[in-house]
Amino acid sequence: MEIFCLGLSHKTAPLTVRERLALGNDKTEQVLKGLVDGLAEAMLVSTCNRVEFYVAADTADAARERLRADVAGLGGPESLDHLYEHRGDEALVHLFRVAASLDSMVLGEPQILGQVKDAYELARKAGSVRGELSRACSAAFVSAKRVRTETGVGRAATSMASAAVEMAKKVFGGLAGKRVLVVGAGEMSELAARHLKTAGVTELVVTNRTFSRAEELAALVGGTARPYEELTALLVPADVVVCSTASPSPIFTRQNVQAQLKARRHRPLFMVDLAVPRDIDPAVNELDQVYAYDVDDIQKSVAENSAARASEAAKAELIIAEELARFVRAREVRDGVPVLARLRETAAQIAKAEVERTFQNLSSEELSDKAKTSIEAMAMAVVNKLLHQPTARLRETGAGDDFRLAEAAAELFGLDTPVSGGKR
Amino acid sequence: MTRSLLSVAIHLYGAAAVVYLSYLIRQFRALPVIGRGLVGLGLAVHAGSVGVALAGQGGLPSGIAQGFSIVSLVLLSIFFFLDLRYRIPVIGAFLMPVALAALVPGILLSKDAARLLPTAPRPLLPVHIAIALVGIASFGVAAGVAVMYVLMERQLKGKKFGVLFARLPSLAFLDDLNRRLVVWGFVALSATLMTGAFFASNAHGVFWAWEAKEIATLVAWVFFAAVLNFRLFAGWQGRRVALLTMAGFCILLVSFFTSYDPGRTTGTMP
Repeated sequence: MEIFCLGLSHKTAPLTVRERLALGNDKTEQVLKGLVDGLAEAMLVSTCNRVEFYVAADTADAARERLRADVAGLGGPESLDHLYEHRGDEALVHLFRVAASLDSMVLGEPQILGQVKDAYELARKAGSVRGELSRACSAAFVSAKRVRTETGVGRAATSMASAAVEMAKKVFGGLAGKRVLVVGAGEMSELAARHLKTAGVTELVVTNRTFSRAEELAALVGGTARPYEELTALLVPADVVVCSTASPSPIFTRQNVQAQLKARRHRPLFMVDLAVPRDIDPAVNELDQVYAYDVDDIQKSVAENSAARASEAAKAELIIAEELARFVRAREVRDGVPVLARLRETAAQIAKAEVERTFQNLSSEELSDKAKTSIEAMAMAVVNKLLHQPTARLRETGAGDDFRLAEAAAELFGLDTPVSGGKR
Repeated sequence: MTRSLLSVAIHLYGAAAVVYLSYLIRQFRALPVIGRGLVGLGLAVHAGSVGVALAGQGGLPSGIAQGFSIVSLVLLSIFFFLDLRYRIPVIGAFLMPVALAALVPGILLSKDAARLLPTAPRPLLPVHIAIALVGIASFGVAAGVAVMYVLMERQLKGKKFGVLFARLPSLAFLDDLNRRLVVWGFVALSATLMTGAFFASNAHGVFWAWEAKEIATLVAWVFFAAVLNFRLFAGWQGRRVALLTMAGFCILLVSFFTSYDPGRTTGTMP
């Protein structure tokens, strides 16, 4: 069984291509169900920045053809030009890196882990992940969590929200009594809203395309929800605007912001765009008294910038390598491979050594070559007969999830295989 | 005596300027405290020097050098007050060099101090002059603050976060300070025009003689009146007002210099 990954992301494909492949949950489920008819397991990660298929199949080549056909069917044949693929452990490394947000456009942004988890849940419900892929995902989540807690990579993204607050302070002095408009109700919006609240913002208005989610976030951070239709009118009372929507095109353009400026009576307006692709047209920044910042601008402002983050990313890669090695060892243990191999090797060595000793005790005249061969064969036959049943049992259980038997065998026979690697 | 006192003050200011400028580059906590001390000491010595000089002249300043000296004194006093009140030593880096530029040429030129005409009416003239100097100094500080605003605004718009970015106060603070200073300056400028007209009508029989300094001062007054109106009633603020403040200060400087027109008739400060 081999894990195979095929997909495209912000690194390889333009937004127009990614958009065509962005599928809703129902469609995803349908695609997954189609895929498992032929492939062992399948999962589809679909965000605004990436669309990736992860499958487990007997051979990667068969999977590759299936997936390419699916991609061409969903996104048109030109999407095939933007695909990348990884197989075997490479595919695992990719999955681990994606979940840990090391492959994200904004390094360390917190949403991606949730998105991969959602993709996994969806596949689990559709019954398209079971054994290998399911274990690979759990391992990826564990490593992503370690990356988040043990390195500063995640902090880079949280610091985006606080850097945005710092920047707003450079315009307004303090934020006490300022009015904030939050557009979008995702994780990033919530993070920014919380930071602004801590900075002393008194009035917080949340708007979102799906109104119920705006209400949820508003209740969560202590603000009021307003319908998305009022979006541009909501600019008038606002001092700070934070955008983080999944909109593929800017929701604030030079025209629709400029139209509100007169009613604002020249009060400064600070707009932060935490979305990728951008929610605010960069031309908005050219307007008088309007300061529009996108993700890159905010990151630029974060002081001890690139060097520190690069070293955090290196730490994260190290964690991923560690977790991957642990996963691979655990898999070997599960498959019973090293235990079996070592068990057989050890047994063969013992048999061989005993045969040698027997030969040394007997003089060469007493033993013909034919007799010697027979004795050797008999010793190996005893070993094989003795080990036959355990071997079969180990193989059986190793194919499933249960690898307690392999651990027990290693323990019982004193084999120093890295069984501990499989323990969590 | 007054010259050596003034020279001591200039040296103190010079040291303070160095301290404030280095604060711009390295934010050691001690620097603003040292700067504040130096400016305070300089102000005391400077005030002493001006006091001695004015006492010798019957309370009236004479000559462009002394004019500059008094404007610097008032300007630095305003800065000193602002620094004590709001703790914004960065302004020092902008104002100290300006004050020095006004003072140093003065001490070199201070020999040709012209005497005032004896026709000057005694009680009103010193008041008129003092108010005028306060006005100019306020607008001077306002123009300095406006420069800071424009610099800060440019960094925020251009997303270039240089050395100044971390040091400069927020746009809102600078804009608010500009508003206050312009209001004070405008009140002083209005009072200058009124006392000037009253004094002129007393001395010459006409309160408005269409002299260069009168015209320049009136233009400056109309200009700032317009700026304040736009600010109060049209909500103008920020960069636009900052640029206008700098322009207005330039007009005011013209009025200040024309008061020293050699062909003048009244022979007084603005």
